[in-house]
Amino acid sequence: MASIMNAGGLPSDQPGYSFSNASAPSESSGPRQHAFNPYTDNGGSTLGVTGADFAILAGDTRSTSGYNINTRYAPKLFRIGDDGDSSSRIVLSVVGFAADGNALKERLDAIVKMYKYQHGKPMSVKACAQRLSTILYQKRFFPYYVHAILGGLDDDGKGALYSYDPVGSYEREQCRAAGAAASLIMPFLDNQVNYKNQYIPASGTGHELQPRAIESLPKEDVIGLVKDAFTSATERHIEVGDGLQMLIITKDGIEEIYTPLKRD
Amino acid sequence: MDTLLAQYTQSPYASEGLTSEEQNDYTETLPPLSLKFALPPVSRPSAFLRAATDDYSNPNCPIKIAHGTTTLAFRFKGGIIVATDSRATAGNWIASQTVKKVIEINPMLLGTMAGGAADCQYWLAYLGIQCRLHELRHKRRISVAAASKILANLVYSYKGMGLSMGTMITGVTPEEGPALYYIDSDGTRLSGNLFCVGSGQTFAYGVLDALYKYDLEDDEALELGKRSILAATHRDAYSGGYINLYHVKEDGWVKHGFMDTNPIFWQTKLEKGEFSNVTSELI
Amino acid sequence: MRGATILKTSDDKTRQLNKHTLLAFSGEAGDTIQFAEFIQANIALYTMRNETDLGPSAVASFIRGELARSLRSRKPYNVNLLLGGMDPITKQPSLYWLDYLASSAKLPYAAHGYAQYYCLSILDKHHHPDISFEQGMKILRMCTDELQRRLPIDFKGMTVKVIKKDGIVDMEYDTSKQVLAA
Repeated sequence: MASIMNAGGLPSDQPGYSFSNASAPSESSGPRQHAFNPYTDNGGSTLGVTGADFAILAGDTRSTSGYNINTRYAPKLFRIGDDGDSSSRIVLSVVGFAADGNALKERLDAIVKMYKYQHGKPMSVKACAQRLSTILYQKRFFPYYVHAILGGLDDDGKGALYSYDPVGSYEREQCRAAGAAASLIMPFLDNQVNYKNQYIPASGTGHELQPRAIESLPKEDVIGLVKDAFTSATERHIEVGDGLQMLIITKDGIEEIYTPLKRD
Repeated sequence: MDTLLAQYTQSPYASEGLTSEEQNDYTETLPPLSLKFALPPVSRPSAFLRAATDDYSNPNCPIKIAHGTTTLAFRFKGGIIVATDSRATAGNWIASQTVKKVIEINPMLLGTMAGGAADCQYWLAYLGIQCRLHELRHKRRISVAAASKILANLVYSYKGMGLSMGTMITGVTPEEGPALYYIDSDGTRLSGNLFCVGSGQTFAYGVLDALYKYDLEDDEALELGKRSILAATHRDAYSGGYINLYHVKEDGWVKHGFMDTNPIFWQTKLEKGEFSNVTSELI
Repeated sequence: MRGATILKTSDDKTRQLNKHTLLAFSGEAGDTIQFAEFIQANIALYTMRNETDLGPSAVASFIRGELARSLRSRKPYNVNLLLGGMDPITKQPSLYWLDYLASSAKLPYAAHGYAQYYCLSILDKHHHPDISFEQGMKILRMCTDELQRRLPIDFKGMTVKVIKKDGIVDMEYDTSKQVLAA
């Protein structure tokens, strides 16, 4: 099947890229340009989980380039719109290329602050989420090399979590892992938070089996899950480790917890 | 000496913080949909973007953009059915099983998402704005033909830059009746009775073409849309998750659920005896 | 086909192996017929030596073995096959899907190439294990209609053969009517 798929492709197999197929100009036809590669991957992983009245964002603090460890403490979590009066209830986590992550954080932070000064009220997470999407999309043709997760509390006081791709498509979710160890952490979250593929025993036969109901977990349990996720990811991924930074957003403010991870 | 000194000294904090240009960027915020996009400082931006994001031509590209889909929409006497799967993939990784691929442009118009998720989300939101502006300027709803042409012209203006989208715009207006348009990032814009878009399109076409007729009843049409997506999720690995089902009528669209495929598959198999190739027999 | 020219409009891409097994093939020109006729000759040889026909599952195993051997040779055959047959003892029909990589699968319905993309979903929906011959022909019509409707190829007719208890029958099959998309 795969060999057939690669053979030629159907007439209009799927929406193709609109890249023109003209090959690059040959060397003689213009000035030769050095390959422009402004990106690097600084590794690490981030994770967000929401509950009934809180949201937790977490990220390891290791920064790598290739097999080198740059530093053991480079936070990937940022308070957004925090100007010292502790009214901020939005946290951004960015993983991927740290410089782009920082630039993105600065952009969003400035915009959220300007919003507050101009309107005299803090920005809602919903509005902030939409704005972050457009910020990312403004660089559609020169993307921020980041996977962003935005956390906060919605207008009803419930935990809110939004996850983004590098060019700004976004979705509100219950939980999301991003970065190097996303493929290790996300299945764990599916199992422990969303109870995927778990059914109530003897509740029926075949497709009539009742799925195990999803409940919103208490904060302490989620903190436990986040720690387990990161200790496990540290155990099996070289780019994860050193320290775990957690920001817990509740109506009372943003609490920060730092726990060490293995440093090897 | 003083002039020489002044030339080579600057105030100690001058280089810190934001430059005046950057400060301008932040304070004089552009409207979010300003259509001013940052471009990489190279002579051929699209070649750079392709190297960085197109996993088809460069499997090691650093930025993976989510792809893979089945979406369908068809016209019938009771309006239009729109149905999609909900899976987003980046290579072999299932990035999400809960993507909303039906985009609610406004209470009357629906769009579907195939190709780049961000491209579809952003430009259909942009289309929503343009439709609202049309209403305010002309004191009447925009026609689906006009709305779809705004989008088609827009993506055509970015042709060759690397946008990737295959979308269907649907709506029912008094002057047009049920209207369905297909638009993609090549600049194609087609009206038609029935379209399937995405990697699972052929499987959806198979089921849909065999049973499609314009005179379907509402419940038959909804069932056919659902069954066609189910067929695609079964045979196309890049499609799956949930079936998102909508019915568009003259007084707006109605959502008919975001349904898990797995129980629907087993129900279809066990109660109707379909999917007879799925067995537990050992040969 | 040679480049973009059709050489023959009624080329039979099947070979009968014994009284009630039929082999259909597609793939690289030359390879297909060479391989199918090699199989045909060997099955015929078996029938003559033993005065009995091999059942479909035995034929499928033999073909798979030959494909696997060919795959590991200096110049492998590039052939994809469908093998249909009626078991002479149990009187049960069976179908095998084989490809040039020597995969073999016993399936209730199967297709090769682009037909897979358009027809398998139809068969998933409309095939049931206990359908009658007439229902089977109806499903086949749905499949060929879909290919005529959606493939950008104007194929010149179909060969349809039915394997019954008492042998293989050629079917009249008309694809001259144009099928247009809705």
